[in-house]
This record gives sequence, structure tokens and C-alpha cells, in this order.
Amino acid sequence: MDVPVWQQVYEELNDPNFVIVCAAEDVGGEAAAGPIFDAANPTYIQVIDPDHIVSSAFNFVNVPSAAWIDEEGRIVRIDEGTYPKIHTFGEGEQSISFGNDVYTPALKDWVKNGSESVHVQPPETVAANIRSHSFEQLKADAAFRLANLFREHGLPEQADRYWAMARELNPDSVNFIRQDLTLTDEGSAGETFLKMRGEYETQGKDYYRPLDFQS
Amino acid sequence: MAKAMMANPEQRNPFETSPIHPKGSTTLLYQGRKIVLSEAHSGDALLIRPEDLTQVNGFELKPEGACYNDLCIPLTKELMVSKNGREWFNLTAFADLLGQPWVADRDAAVWSFAEIPAKRENTMEHAMAPDFEVTDRKGNVVRMADLKGKKALIVTWSSW
Repeated sequence: MDVPVWQQVYEELNDPNFVIVCAAEDVGGEAAAGPIFDAANPTYIQVIDPDHIVSSAFNFVNVPSAAWIDEEGRIVRIDEGTYPKIHTFGEGEQSISFGNDVYTPALKDWVKNGSESVHVQPPETVAANIRSHSFEQLKADAAFRLANLFREHGLPEQADRYWAMARELNPDSVNFIRQDLTLTDEGSAGETFLKMRGEYETQGKDYYRPLDFQS
Repeated sequence: MAKAMMANPEQRNPFETSPIHPKGSTTLLYQGRKIVLSEAHSGDALLIRPEDLTQVNGFELKPEGACYNDLCIPLTKELMVSKNGREWFNLTAFADLLGQPWVADRDAAVWSFAEIPAKRENTMEHAMAPDFEVTDRKGNVVRMADLKGKKALIVTWSSW
């Protein structure tokens, strides 16, 4: 649902020196994510990323997440719940809202003002916000990609074995558990995920860094 | 929130069974790429032809060792192995030296290699973007290095 909103933001900025690389972290590949991209007709860079290469590169553990990279390749913000707007479903007491209305204005300010933007974080803050990627977590990436290959070749038992290995090696990856749950009757926001989220909160963990934009 | 939000059980295994590679071949996974080698020894260790090293992980064989940018790993007897009258490069021993995790399914002769920590952790510690490589929907290779000179929002999402 954010894919068309990013296109709107991209068009509003209309800056040839700003690019959006929008990556679908989806083992379903083109079949699952392609139609969503197509419906938005984006002019930014669209990537289908079944192996979660982008999340692994930036050590993201959930979607949607993002990094702001300046002209010199410096990361100036990273790993926040990257919603470009507040999304609301349903009406009245039954309605559900998520997202925020501060991220997009901050992003636009940075694109216009660069290093002068108040939303540029100092390197030490950025470095502190970058998650570590331990040996086990890197190994989990390798297991996840092996599972995806087996799935593509119609070998579900092997795929399940290596997806399970990935989850065991990196239990903090919300991406791995939700991606796997998507392919079950329970779905990616069912009992198992809610239990995981509860455990996260109990243990004081986060799957996004706090949104702390200056006004 | 609906209990079965974004459930797609029919997507669990939507594919027909197909061979991963021609019989006798070995498949390597690295950085989202699939590399099929017709000649390799897939046993306790993975031995590849020295000339295949660069296409596998970008390292080049030079007199001083296996090199990537400023990083050179000397070629010890553990890395260059003689077998069946030929010289082979022990890729798993090399990965172990680099602290690069790997997972193998020896029955299928598929070896999946994670990122090489030395190729990226140093940049991340200094809040510099890692040089990942992906292919966009138009078939263009997108590298972080190619975006230099522009501001970039690298954003993930999913259909799930």
C-alpha cells in the first residue's frame, strides 16, 4: 500500500538528484509483488528481492524499513518504521490505523536541504542505529536463500528445512518469520507473529529504531 | 487485525519439480546470484577450479594471494589443493578463513554463501552504505556505488 505513496512523494520532489530504490522483500517474487508495482506505475527503481538482499545489506529485520544515503554514500538515517503516511482501514471503533505523518515531510526536507536538514543524524547516531549482523545471522541469510532455491524447484521439504534453519539461527528476524508464516493458513499477522511481538516487547527488543524527528 | 491477514498457503509450493542443475554440476548461491559450475568437487569441502573464483565472489588470484581491493589472503596449502592431478581452490576453507558463513546441502550439491564480513562491516561501522547489488524490474543491475552523487532512499516493503 506504500508503493503508490512513494511514487507520489517521488513526483512531488521531482529532483533529478534524488532516487528511490524500492525493494519488495518477497519470496513470492514477481508473481506476488509485481502486480502491486504495476498498479502504481512507478518511475522510481523497482526491485523484486526474494532473497532479501537489501534487508541483509542494511541489517534490517522487518518491513517496511529504509536508509537515507547522501551523495557521498553516507547513511544519514536508518532502520525506522518507514511508512510514508498514516493508513486507516475500516470505520469507527473497528478501524485500524498504522504509519505516521512525520516521515515524508522529514524526507522531503532532507532532499531539499541536504546536510543542512535537521533530520540528518550524526554518524555516531547512525552507527548506533545500525544493527549488528552476527555470524549466526549471516548464516541464517545463507540458509534462507538455500530454502528459496529449493522452493523454486518444487522441493518443499528441503525448503521448509532450511527456512526453519534460518528462523532458528536468526530468531530476531521478523522478516524471516513473517515471510514464512505468509505461506501458511495463519498468515503473517496471526497468533505466532503476535506471540513473537509480545516476546519482543517483554524482552525490550525493537524491530525498528525509534522515530525521533525534530520538528 | 484479521487472524489470517495476508495468508497465502497456496503459495507454499507453487512450482513443478525441476532439476536445480544438470547432473554432476554444483550450484553456488552468493549475493542473490546463482552460479552453476560444471566442474567442482562437492564433498566435505567445496573445491572449485581456481579460474572460477572471480565469478563466484569477486576475489582475484594474484601472486600475493586471493585479493579483493586491498584485502589479500595468502594462498596456503589448505587453500590450493591437488586432487586427481589438478589444482583446486578450497572455497569453504577460504570462507572459513574470512569468517564467511555457508550452508550446504550436499545431497543436492548446492552451497549457499553469506556475505563476507570483511567486504562490508567496516563500511557499516563508519555509517557508510554497503555496496549491495540487485537487479531491477527492467533488468538493470543496481549497485550502491552507481548511486553516488545522488541522494537515495533505499526502502523495503512486502506483499505480506
